[in-house]
This record gives sequence, C-alpha cells and structure tokens, in this order.
Amino acid sequence: MTKVAVIGIGQSLRGDDAVGLEVLRQWRERFQETASRLEVQSEACELPGLTLLDLFNDVDTAILVDAVQGKSTPGTIHLLDENELSAFTSDAKSAHGWGLAETLQLGNELMVTKTKVRVVGIQAEQMTLGTGLSEAVKDAIPIVCEMLEEEIHKALCE
Amino acid sequence: MKTIEVPALARVEGEGGLYIGLENGKAIEVRLDIYEPPRFFEGFLKDRFLQEVPDITARICGICPVAYQMSAAYALENALGVKIVPQARALRRLMYCGEFIESHALHIYMLQAPDLLGKESALELAATAPEVVKNALRLKKIGNELLKTIGGRSVHPVNVCVGGFYSWPDAKSLKDLLPDFEWGLNAALDTVKLALTLPYPDLEIDYEFVALHHPDEYGVIEGEVWSSNGRKLSIAEYENGYIEEHVKHSNALHSHTVDHNTYLVGPLARLNLNHKQLMPNAKKALADSGIQLPLKNPYKSLFARAIELVHFYEEAIQLIKEYKPSGPAHVELKLKAGEGAGATEAPRGLLYHRYKIDANGMVQFAKITPPTAQNLPRIEADLFALVPQLISMPEAEATLTAEHLVRSYDPCISCATHFLKLKVEEK
Repeated sequence: MTKVAVIGIGQSLRGDDAVGLEVLRQWRERFQETASRLEVQSEACELPGLTLLDLFNDVDTAILVDAVQGKSTPGTIHLLDENELSAFTSDAKSAHGWGLAETLQLGNELMVTKTKVRVVGIQAEQMTLGTGLSEAVKDAIPIVCEMLEEEIHKALCE
Repeated sequence: MKTIEVPALARVEGEGGLYIGLENGKAIEVRLDIYEPPRFFEGFLKDRFLQEVPDITARICGICPVAYQMSAAYALENALGVKIVPQARALRRLMYCGEFIESHALHIYMLQAPDLLGKESALELAATAPEVVKNALRLKKIGNELLKTIGGRSVHPVNVCVGGFYSWPDAKSLKDLLPDFEWGLNAALDTVKLALTLPYPDLEIDYEFVALHHPDEYGVIEGEVWSSNGRKLSIAEYENGYIEEHVKHSNALHSHTVDHNTYLVGPLARLNLNHKQLMPNAKKALADSGIQLPLKNPYKSLFARAIELVHFYEEAIQLIKEYKPSGPAHVELKLKAGEGAGATEAPRGLLYHRYKIDANGMVQFAKITPPTAQNLPRIEADLFALVPQLISMPEAEATLTAEHLVRSYDPCISCATHFLKLKVEEK
C-alpha cells in the first residue's frame, strides 16, 4: 500500500508563515474522504526542524506545504520536487534553525529516508508577528487545497 | 514555472547582528542585536484566559516549548494557590526529560560539535561521520517520541494545563519506549566520552552562575534560585535579585543582578551548582571524566550538556518505570484574582514567568524572562574580550569565530536562521 504524508509547516502567529497550517486545516475540511483514508496521514508542524525526518518513517511520498519568501507576487503557488529543492540553501546552519532544504539534504545524506518529497510553496507577503494572513495569500488557499488534493491522488497511484 | 529565485524556504525569525565599535584599534563598544519574541507575547497574553497561556507561550520556541508551558503553568498555579498531584509532578519532570534530550542532542551534535571539529555544518559532519550523525538523530528522536507520547505531538506538544495535565498518557505506550531509552542512556554515556575528545578553545571566564536548585533532585522545576555568589532566593523573590532593563540597541531586554553584575544561566550554571543532585550514572560519568568543577569555559557547556543528557535519559527511565496514573490528571481550578511567579530550567537556562489574573482568570499582566535575555549581557562581555582577536582576522573568519562563541551559549535567538552580520566601525 502506497503511503502518503501531508505535512503543513509554519508558524501560527507569524503572518503568512501560518499558510501551511491553514492549508492543511482547510484541505482536511474540504476533502474529508481523502483525509480519513488509512494510507494518508496528515500533520501540522510548527517549526519542526529535524523532527521532520521522523515524519517520513514508512512514507512513500511526503507532500509538504509551506510559505516561501521570494520575489514572486504574494500568493503565487510553487510546486517543487526533490531535484529543485537541491538548489535551495539558507543560512540555517547557524542557530537552531534547520531549514527545510537542509533537513531534507541531511535525510538524503544519511539515507535515513527514501521518501519522495514534493513541496507546495506559497509566496508570502509578510511574516510579522501577530498580523495574520495577507489577503493575497488567503485567496490562494482554496487553489492550493485543490492542487494538494490532486498531488495526493497522483502520489497514491504511483 | 518551476523554480524560485529565492534561497530559503521560510523559517525566518529575524536577524542577529554583531556590532563592534573601535577607537584607535581598541574596542569601545560591542553590541549583539538579536531578535527576541517573548516581548510580543507579553502583550498578546493580556485578556486571555489563564488556561490558554501554556499553549500560547509554547509558541515562543520550537525547541523548548515544554519549558514555556511549564513555567507558565507553575506561575498560574501559584497565582491560584493550586498544588498539582504527585504523579502529575512526576509526569512534568518526565516530559521535561524529553525536551532536554531532544534539545541537548540537537545542540551537541548538530550545532556545536561541527564548530569544534571545523565542519561548516552537521551536513558536512554527516558526510564524514554518518554513523555519529545517525546516532545523534536517534538520540534526539527518542526525546521527541517521549514528548509525543505524553503531549500528543512531537513538536509543540499539548496536554500540560494549569492544574496538571488534561489527561494521563497511556502507561503501556510509555513503557514501550523503555528499550529505546536504555539504548539512549548508553549512547549518552558515549556522548560524554566524545565530549572529552573535542578541541575546545581556551577561555576561562569568572561567571556568576545562576540556576534553580532543589535539594532532592536535579533542579528543573520548583526549588530556589541559587547563585554561585551565595544569593539564595525563592522563585517568588526572583525579581528582587535579577533585574531586566531595556537597552537601546536591542529589542531584547538585558538582565543583570541587583549588584549590577552580568550572570550566566544554562548547563554550566546547573552542573556547577547542582552536580550533587545528578543521577548515579551521570554522577559517575562526571567523576570518571576527571573534569574539575566549576567549569568556566563557555565552549565546554557542550560537556555539561552531555552529562545532562545522561542524567535525563536515566531519570526518564526511572520515571517511566514508576509511572502509575490514578485519579484525575488535574485538579479543579477555583478562579480568583491573584498574582504568581513560576520558574523552571529550560535546556538553555532559567525561564521565569509572572502573571496577574483577575477574578475571572483573565490575564491582566504577563512578564516572561527567557534565558537568553539573562545571558545576553554576558555574551556581549565575552565578545568584548574576543575583540582583539577578531579585528586581526578576515571578516568571514571573524564572523565565524564570534558565531562559535555565541552558539556555545545555545541562545534562543529563536531559530534565527540568518545569524550574525558582523559590522566593525572605526570611529
């Protein structure tokens, strides 16, 4: 049985960085049938750091939903696979912060995971404490949920 | 469209900056600017119901959420005059073991050891010593598993409430973790051996150490606030000994003692003040190491963390074996207006909370003093001492050297991804 993990990443109190968590919540509500399937596990994660790797246990495909900071218009949706992620670096080697890219790279380096990873990224407008989601990001959520649903079904058929 | 121009997926918390002001080649000013979220939370908590506080403050940090939950719960229990049942207290200690384990394993292996071994990051360490990093991830994961078993989730666990716990975790699920913990205890003892082989830079600082002390157990929850200078205060008296002040360059408050001394909280302070309360294996590992206390080298806080890793694995095993839940997991709260303080030891040091609540249990005032705010003036002072070396180095090397020192404190520059930006200015 193909197993898929859907993981919403973000920080609930930090502006658009909460979008991954909100997408997960709305997707569970709209697509209850998929969300309740045994082979689909879903989890909301705030600042998972390296713990993310633990969520890949026995999972064939992990679909991560997270905010991204880039130069595209706020609310722009990016769909990335593992190869594209390898281009991602950040300065996260510093304090506690293990960025998503480093965490996945470490997982690959140690071969602790053979999980296929897809990332759905939503361009953030701001990540200010206590501000809530921007309008452009909110508007993108229903579309992201549909894309997520499609990706899950694709992964289940692989 | 398949690529993004930007380097980082979002996990950004803020930036730290190190500013060094020079005059005639000598440092006259050193400022570490760091971002610190607790201030925001103090305002955010006003008019919230007290039972929301543990879970809201847990959001301050992804590494040590349990510490924020615990200090908040104790402070609010003190405000209401509530005492939790003994098994709930033991379960809080057990949950704290999980947090210490995951936080210390992360810091030792993923953050500080690569610095000491001259590796750019744990990724580079993983390429040369994959087994070490695999074991480190397992050591850390066991801590997270414990948090998940007690708190439902491995990151930001829930279940701690004012009055105890919302529900007792399943005894069998906890006992099923024992084989992993036995493995972890041995791996932690190996970590101490590894810690003894690492090349620590020479640096001895005459710190005033401050930690929670409890006569019957390694100080983590409850007890008194002890200083190596002899000051002993109850938790309620904490603010009589330690004062926070705004400094212009930082949005973090800086703490000092009433005598205007800088002081140090964290693993070095705990080990130096509380080594007599260590569990037997941890005590033996310390004795066998030949390391003399007090330890005064900030880089050697890695060794203190390794000893604590042994301690918390050992204590977790004991607490899991003794776990016997019965009756309600939390006491019923009778709301009344009041004020209470609580302090517990986060992995990176003493974490103090104080709240005022009204008769309906709504928060009217919140004060949160995180460990990093207490250590900041000390970190700046240490950087000041390092300046003569820094200014003779190329910028990249100087930045890295300063980062190593700052990182050894394990500051909660809360998951700040972009770390130091060094600016040297000749006046």
